[in-house]
Amino acid sequence: MVPAFSVFVLLLISLVPVGLPMVSTVTPALTLMSVFYWSINRPDLLTALAAFIIGLVQDLLTGLPLGVSSLVLLIVQTLSANQGRFFQNKSFAVLWWAFALVALAALLVQWLFTSALIGALLPFKPLVTSYILTAALFPLIAWVLTRVQNGLLQHV
Amino acid sequence: MAQHGGPQQRIFSPLRTAVQRFAFILLIVSTFGLMLLGKADTVLIERIRGASTDLVSPIMNLASRPAATINDISAYIENLANLYEENLRLREENHQLLAWQQVARNLEHENARLRSIHSFAEPPAIHIISARVIADMGGAYAHSMMISAGSREGVKKGQAVFADEGLVGRVINAGYQASRILLITDINSRVPVLIENSRDRAFLSGDNSDRPVLNFLTADASVSPGDRVLTSGHGGAFPPGIPVGVVSSVSETSVRVTPLYRRHQLEYLRVADYGLDGILADPDRAIPQPPAADAAPNPVPGGLGVRPLDLGDLNNIVTPVPVVPDLSLVPEPAQAPATPPSGQTP
Repeated sequence: MVPAFSVFVLLLISLVPVGLPMVSTVTPALTLMSVFYWSINRPDLLTALAAFIIGLVQDLLTGLPLGVSSLVLLIVQTLSANQGRFFQNKSFAVLWWAFALVALAALLVQWLFTSALIGALLPFKPLVTSYILTAALFPLIAWVLTRVQNGLLQHV
Repeated sequence: MAQHGGPQQRIFSPLRTAVQRFAFILLIVSTFGLMLLGKADTVLIERIRGASTDLVSPIMNLASRPAATINDISAYIENLANLYEENLRLREENHQLLAWQQVARNLEHENARLRSIHSFAEPPAIHIISARVIADMGGAYAHSMMISAGSREGVKKGQAVFADEGLVGRVINAGYQASRILLITDINSRVPVLIENSRDRAFLSGDNSDRPVLNFLTADASVSPGDRVLTSGHGGAFPPGIPVGVVSSVSETSVRVTPLYRRHQLEYLRVADYGLDGILADPDRAIPQPPAADAAPNPVPGGLGVRPLDLGDLNNIVTPVPVVPDLSLVPEPAQAPATPPSGQTP
């Protein structure tokens, strides 16, 4: 439950109004980062169903077309859970690179589906900014989640 | 654990993979099902959205408080940096506003006199509900916010939402204790507006960029950068005369408007219960309620930006006036946006 809960907390954090000019229009995809992290490290604790539900909650809260975030997070979860073993003895830089690629694909899919469901091409610039922010902030979130994971192991 | 293979493991492992694969396909199918369901835009989805907003609103209400403190600190630093320029600008603005105040007072008197001559039907008073911004659903895809007032406070879907500076958006989803607001920059937002000086009517359509587009302008409309844009009140969805933005660029293909508010500084918003259910009313709802008697104690003139300090004996006038009245309008007060929306035809 802890991983899913941590993703939910990050989702709520991404909704907190921040008084900075840039961040109010473009937010990093915190849920994407955390779903990726947990699926790589503990796929048994963050299942596909959990990713689906988190996506659903995100769509409900942010007012996006229903189903899009669920689809994206579900694909990210399944892909990274299957490739998790590959990263076991690799350095963090490799993981970061992998995330940068996954995030690019994920945000593009999200953009495509959202545009299709809304019925108009959404502007591309916020997407690029959001992607850069997401890729750049990944180490920070990964660090926090590593702490959470270590704390979790102590209790098991 | 699962790593140690045994006879059980050999039997159950392929089975488990098959179940997982099946579950994955099932979930993928249900995401597409959700997309179809969401596209149909049923009342059910709206209820669920409202309920989920309600569920997280207590958490967001707490979580947004430290954020508000950070806002205050960053605003403080920003203010310190710009103190001198800001002071100069405010002095100048104050001069101009004093002049406008005089004009407004004169016009208030004149309006009152003219209204007593004509039998003028007064539009309903606006009942204001104030609420705090508790969440900002920023991001590349949606421009919406959550406020800490819902149907409990009288917020209903379709009501206009504005900040001190001007129109911010409308209520798209009202929960019990929190509601979601669609900003005018969102791609789903359409606001009937008019250009302040030329009185040309248009639609302000968001496209998820910072600056929404003016649509459906007539061919002979005269628009230039710097023109102010106000709500027109057509369709009964928004009260007339609320400032919306300033025309920022005019090109062959599009006219863009910069909203008056700054999104990252929005902290408290006001919801206008105009007493009209507007075009956005649920068709299955019963007869629209007339503004209740308790709506009366808080009447505010429709021109919300500028309000003379001393209204004196004019307090009983609750009809909207243009925010920055144009002197050229004085000879023909019937043209002011204060006329009931249904009475105007383009």
